[in-house]
Amino acid sequence: MSKILNTEESNGLVIISTQGYLNKDLGEEIQSVANEFIEKGTTKFLINLSQSNIVNSIGASIMIELIETLQEIDGDLSFCELAPIIEKTFNIMGLTKYCKTFKSQSEAIEALG
Amino acid sequence: MVSLADINQVLSKKRNLDSKLVLLREFLNENNLDFCFFSLSKTFSKRFEISNFDLLEDYHQYSFFQDKQFGQIDKETYKKLKKLSDFDLKKKGVISTIFFFKKPVALIYLFSKKKKLDQLNNICQYISFYLDSFIREFHLQSKFNDKNNVLQGKLLEIESIFKITELLNSHNQNDLYQNILIYIISTLNASKGMILIKNINSGSYDIITSMGIDEDSFQKKIIRDTKGVLRDLKNSKSTMIVDDVKNYILTEFSQANCLVSPIISQKNLHGAIIICDKETRSGYSSFDQFDLRLYDNITKKISLSFDNIVLLETLSESKKSVDNIMSSISTGIIQVNILGEIDYINTSALKVFNFDKDNVVGNHYYMVFEKNDKLISLIEKTEESKEILFESNFDIKDNNDKKHQINLTISPVFDENEKNSGVVLSFEDLSGINKVKSTFKKYVSESIVDELLENETSLELGGSEKEVCVLFADIRGFTALSEKMEASKVVYVLNNYFQSMIDVIFKHNGTLDKIIGDELMVLYGVPLKTDNDPQNAVNSAIEMLFSLENFNKKMKLEGLPKLEIGIGINFGNVVSGNIGSDQQMNYTVIGDNVNLAARLCSNAKPGEIIISNSVYNFLDDKSKFIKSVPLSVKGKSKPIDNWLYKHKISIKLQ
Repeated sequence: MSKILNTEESNGLVIISTQGYLNKDLGEEIQSVANEFIEKGTTKFLINLSQSNIVNSIGASIMIELIETLQEIDGDLSFCELAPIIEKTFNIMGLTKYCKTFKSQSEAIEALG
Repeated sequence: MVSLADINQVLSKKRNLDSKLVLLREFLNENNLDFCFFSLSKTFSKRFEISNFDLLEDYHQYSFFQDKQFGQIDKETYKKLKKLSDFDLKKKGVISTIFFFKKPVALIYLFSKKKKLDQLNNICQYISFYLDSFIREFHLQSKFNDKNNVLQGKLLEIESIFKITELLNSHNQNDLYQNILIYIISTLNASKGMILIKNINSGSYDIITSMGIDEDSFQKKIIRDTKGVLRDLKNSKSTMIVDDVKNYILTEFSQANCLVSPIISQKNLHGAIIICDKETRSGYSSFDQFDLRLYDNITKKISLSFDNIVLLETLSESKKSVDNIMSSISTGIIQVNILGEIDYINTSALKVFNFDKDNVVGNHYYMVFEKNDKLISLIEKTEESKEILFESNFDIKDNNDKKHQINLTISPVFDENEKNSGVVLSFEDLSGINKVKSTFKKYVSESIVDELLENETSLELGGSEKEVCVLFADIRGFTALSEKMEASKVVYVLNNYFQSMIDVIFKHNGTLDKIIGDELMVLYGVPLKTDNDPQNAVNSAIEMLFSLENFNKKMKLEGLPKLEIGIGINFGNVVSGNIGSDQQMNYTVIGDNVNLAARLCSNAKPGEIIISNSVYNFLDDKSKFIKSVPLSVKGKSKPIDNWLYKHKISIKLQ
């Protein structure tokens, strides 16, 4: 079952943790949650994909859309705990050129905080 | 004064065309310039997401737009534009048409009361030039992106094929089907799917893995290849697109269409892979022929590997089963191959040597047993002689230099062509409980040892009073006999005699208390009570006499003298416990009843068994004993009633 496991905000950074297949449905769910925070003024997002083992190109393209939205407001999107296959897909789709990736959530919080 | 640099700066602020134009209009209006943008194409408006400016849908009926318009607006154009738009156009405004691939796509209009015509023309020309470039660049970028997306897609497909090939070639079969399904689903942008495999016993198909599908809805359905999608796959044996999804049970949960592929093994259908509902940004769409081609490519690989997968699974199961057996036995097993490398080591062996499996398997026994020179020599000896070697109470050192004693067997291993393929070490650890067990076996029967170890509460050690049957067996005239024999022969005869007797004693659950010279003291009822300890003792005694007959025959053949014994048995309360000094302490029994058994024994003539009343009363078959004259024994004021068995007149035991 693909879903958002948890959303937390700390020092202006919103961390969205997911579970399962990062496809259209989960991608749109992330986008929708992120948009709600963007409307409230949040610009920094971290997506923890430790519980997501696979992504398809639609899911990745939705993440690109989210990056574009955040670029418009000088925000940024980062990812942490990517499975190797997800990292490979993100690389192929050029997503990693526009966002940062971190091995662990704590490493990401330290770098982004 | 509006400069072209200012305009350029404003236009560069936003990425989207509509946003650029809105910002430009605001900027120009602030500088007393009227600005308007008209889209002349619905496609153009849609492509560039123009929402804040008019679309002149009917422009094409006016031929003048087909030509490049630039400069001050003429009367005719003014009139026509007025008809098409509500915008407050001024006659003295300037316009410029923007073309894309020779087709007019937009029109810009500019007016200012304060600007001269050439100034307006300059600004208008600059904006027109900027937008022309932007649109061309955007188009090229889009084309590039499209091509790039296609390439990315292809790259992902290739990656996926690599990954699936890797999975199929890997020896790690854990979650293999699940991983295969995940990669297929993600590569083809499907939203859900499943893999079914035929159950060889029932002939029906089981869903062995799925994603995004409620498997419970299939739980009570028997899936066969006699109907539906599986029948079609069985017949066609080729990958298919299923559009009429609602007609089949296996695809009815799909909202668009499905791709189905067979898993073929030895030309027969053995399974199927089904994926459903291709995802796009705007929702589900149908898989097309391109998807089918890729899917076919991937699934054919899986189908080709299916036999190997099944074979690997079977092998893995067998290995697991052998591992489980090997892990559960207490005997340590180490297999050494022909090159001297350790191929296998079981859990017990790891425990005895305190080894880490990763540091042992694959390494030469020279390295593994570097602390055990003698063991290395024995392995070498077996390798050379190709004969089984046994060593009892063999000392070894474990990884932490701790000493252990093992009973070791090293056997050469031969393959089906009788060619030597290494050696196997099997050993029993004699330390700890094993040592206790091994030692204990010298005194009581193996069944008692096992029962004691399994059921600790059955063991009652310590000083306590309990009912025990005590048997004494003594060799008659042995002292005189031994004086005529060589010492080594005396030992040989005695050892053989005791071995024969102790075998009988253990058979009847007796516990060897001690050997005093040529006398045996045996207990029945300790450390474990049985239903009838006196009967066991009597059965033992009678069989001991029969066993002695056989023993004597053997001795005669060897030119050695025959032995004769007398046996006394008494049953009653004794004190049991660890008796002795700090230096030496033994578990034994003491008391009047022990002494009485010894007295009965000393009164028994060769081939006789004398039992007390207390023993006689418990016998199931009393006919073998006759009442004897009461015996006066030391320590007893009254003569003791007793019963006699004479070996020669008894009926042979079965």
